[in-house]
Amino acid sequence: MDHSVTQLKEGEFGTVRCFTDERMAGKLMTMGVLPGSKVQVVRIAPFNGGYYLKVDGTNMVLREAEADSIVLEVLADS
Amino acid sequence: MNIIALAGNPNSGKSSLFNHLTGLRQKVANFPGVTVDKKFGTLRLPGSGEVQVIDLPGTYSLYPSSQDERVTLDVLANPASEIYPSAVVYVADVTHLEKHFLLLTQIIDLGFPVILALNMSDLAEKEGIQVDTRQVSAYLGVPVVSVSGRRGDNIAALRQEIDKLLKEKKIVRRSSSIFQFYASEEKKVVAEIQASLNITNPYHALLLAHHHLRLPFLKKEEKTQIAAICQAAGFKDLPLQIAETMGRFSTYGPVLKRAIRKDGERNTLTDKLDAIFTHRIFAPLLFFAIMFLVFQAIFAWAVHPMNWIDQGFINAGEFLNRVLPPGWLTNLLTEGILSGLGGVLVFVPQIAILFFLITLLEEVGYMARAVYIFDKVMQQFGLNGRSVVALISGGACAIPAIMSTRTISNWKERIITIMVTPLISCSARIPVYTVLIAFVVPEGSLFGIFNMQGLAFMGLYLLGIMAALVSAYVFKKILKSKERSWLMLELPPYRMPMWTNVWLTIREKVGAFILGAGRVIMVVSIILWGLATYGPPKKMERAEREAIALAQEHSLNEMATANLVAARKIEMSYAGHLGKFIEPAIKPLGFDWKIGIALITSFAAREVFVATMATLYSIGSSDDEATIHNQLAEARRPGTGELVYTTATSAALLIFYVFAMQCISTMAVVHRETGSWKWVFIQFGYMSTLAYLASLTVFHLLN
Repeated sequence: MDHSVTQLKEGEFGTVRCFTDERMAGKLMTMGVLPGSKVQVVRIAPFNGGYYLKVDGTNMVLREAEADSIVLEVLADS
Repeated sequence: MNIIALAGNPNSGKSSLFNHLTGLRQKVANFPGVTVDKKFGTLRLPGSGEVQVIDLPGTYSLYPSSQDERVTLDVLANPASEIYPSAVVYVADVTHLEKHFLLLTQIIDLGFPVILALNMSDLAEKEGIQVDTRQVSAYLGVPVVSVSGRRGDNIAALRQEIDKLLKEKKIVRRSSSIFQFYASEEKKVVAEIQASLNITNPYHALLLAHHHLRLPFLKKEEKTQIAAICQAAGFKDLPLQIAETMGRFSTYGPVLKRAIRKDGERNTLTDKLDAIFTHRIFAPLLFFAIMFLVFQAIFAWAVHPMNWIDQGFINAGEFLNRVLPPGWLTNLLTEGILSGLGGVLVFVPQIAILFFLITLLEEVGYMARAVYIFDKVMQQFGLNGRSVVALISGGACAIPAIMSTRTISNWKERIITIMVTPLISCSARIPVYTVLIAFVVPEGSLFGIFNMQGLAFMGLYLLGIMAALVSAYVFKKILKSKERSWLMLELPPYRMPMWTNVWLTIREKVGAFILGAGRVIMVVSIILWGLATYGPPKKMERAEREAIALAQEHSLNEMATANLVAARKIEMSYAGHLGKFIEPAIKPLGFDWKIGIALITSFAAREVFVATMATLYSIGSSDDEATIHNQLAEARRPGTGELVYTTATSAALLIFYVFAMQCISTMAVVHRETGSWKWVFIQFGYMSTLAYLASLTVFHLLN
């Protein structure tokens, strides 16, 4: 079943399947977030703040809306 | 001269390599026609002689979204440019090669001769990453060198490779791309642009199709031509960009997987540190603790060097007065130039410490965390998390701070950041604050540890920050924009600072302060000395006669007579007239005409305030040895004999300097960065109004 990154809890991860927003996809891909990349949620800032992610070993932070545009295909516990 | 460009992603360690290659032979230059500063340096090579090196800002691809990222495209897609490089040294972080290959393959496709520098070989060793450089080199058709910008490994080999490439009689430019995946509409557009604009490289033509609207070097008719071609072919830029990115990753991805051997996992020091430094509760607390330490340090560490410089200028003045014959020239030298210059140079230690600490925070990777921590809060004020970097660097100087807003891609967020950044107290306010705080806050410490004047200092900074946030909120409500805003930021691993980088940055920034401010201060001091020494001859004579008569009437001694004459004369001088002219406007704030003169001169630059006061008061007094603080402390209003620098006046003046836009250089940068005078006037207007009203309020509350 598909999930967006924002549905993950801290520590959970999945594999990118596709994106829901073209413009964000364009930017995310240039930063190395691609279909097949492994995404782990490391930390979520309080009050719907940013998502601290580990994507294929690189640490990056996204806003909630940005993280929400990433669709994951596998969901697993760490 | 040959030009080579250093290109790469953010956090690829490009700057360290640039510093290694060029050492002290570097400068930041503003190139004509391009509104962006580029870092230039020179490199001497045995075979190809002197080579100019350009350090391009880091970007992830040739599809930029912020001003900052756009530079690389603007330079590399414009063969007519004076700084069009003959070759590119591409710096890639060897621990994240796949990501760094996107821009690399784009630059190779543009036809540039490229040398690939695999940076961070030290880190790769530690993480057990091995790259088969021969395989990579054969695949890309470019030379590959493993280097470490941190340890300085293999820099000589990189220089040799550059030398070899440049020595070849004719530098080979590729005419075709390695990656061929043009969709039919792409092929059509590329062929037509190539034909009509006479472009040999197909990828170059494709980039023009994608970016023609925003490329500054294209002529108007070229833009229309390209637009027509794109429209006729049904060229959809966004899906094609995505397809290109995907195509590149899937083309080189498998090759890289074969060439890289990894064993073991990434070290987790960064993860452990981030568990604390980006913690939901501890993170903001730690941030404020760090900022607090920074400001305590400015005061605690700078005391001794400041005393030395102060004493040095006093000694120099005495020495000159002793050895030079008395006359107007000696006067100009000691009372005009020397006292003006000394009044400002004494603050170099504080400024250097501030720059040092801010550079350090940036070097270790903390700034990116601050961006993450504050993004949500900043959004409430119409700003971006990235605005934090500008606001913090604004504590050193608004000029680099405003330039750092180029990383903010959203226009509205960027404009608001530019508008409010000068409200953050910059280092030029340090001299003014230091001199005036002494009149408002007593010396001594609170609970035996916290320097009270240091606390007051921090209070003024907080006031500036609050004003910046409130103003940002007001701008957010006024400005309208539908453009999207982004955070999307990579957090680099924490690293020990590279001391050469820190040292070079401080050297550049402090040097710019001394040269920039020094020049202004010299000119202003000389003009001011002239204005304060000379006046309408008849009035000056009458003032002198009256003063002497008054002195005889009260049978004053020689020294007191001289002081009285000097005081009366300065009042009648041109400077006195100028100050008197604006006195009615500033009287409600508790300021007299002398402060008026200082306000006028410090519209050029804030730090001139102290120099002006030093010049004005040293002319008015026969006591050359008194430092600026003592002179102000003894200043009295003529007639009533009240102290000029009462708590109320000093506090009002302090508040005025917190809010007022008094820096011609900042205004010039705002004009350059926003491309219009409109924002310069808006900024000047709102800040001046704020300053006037706030100091009026403070004066009346305290008086």
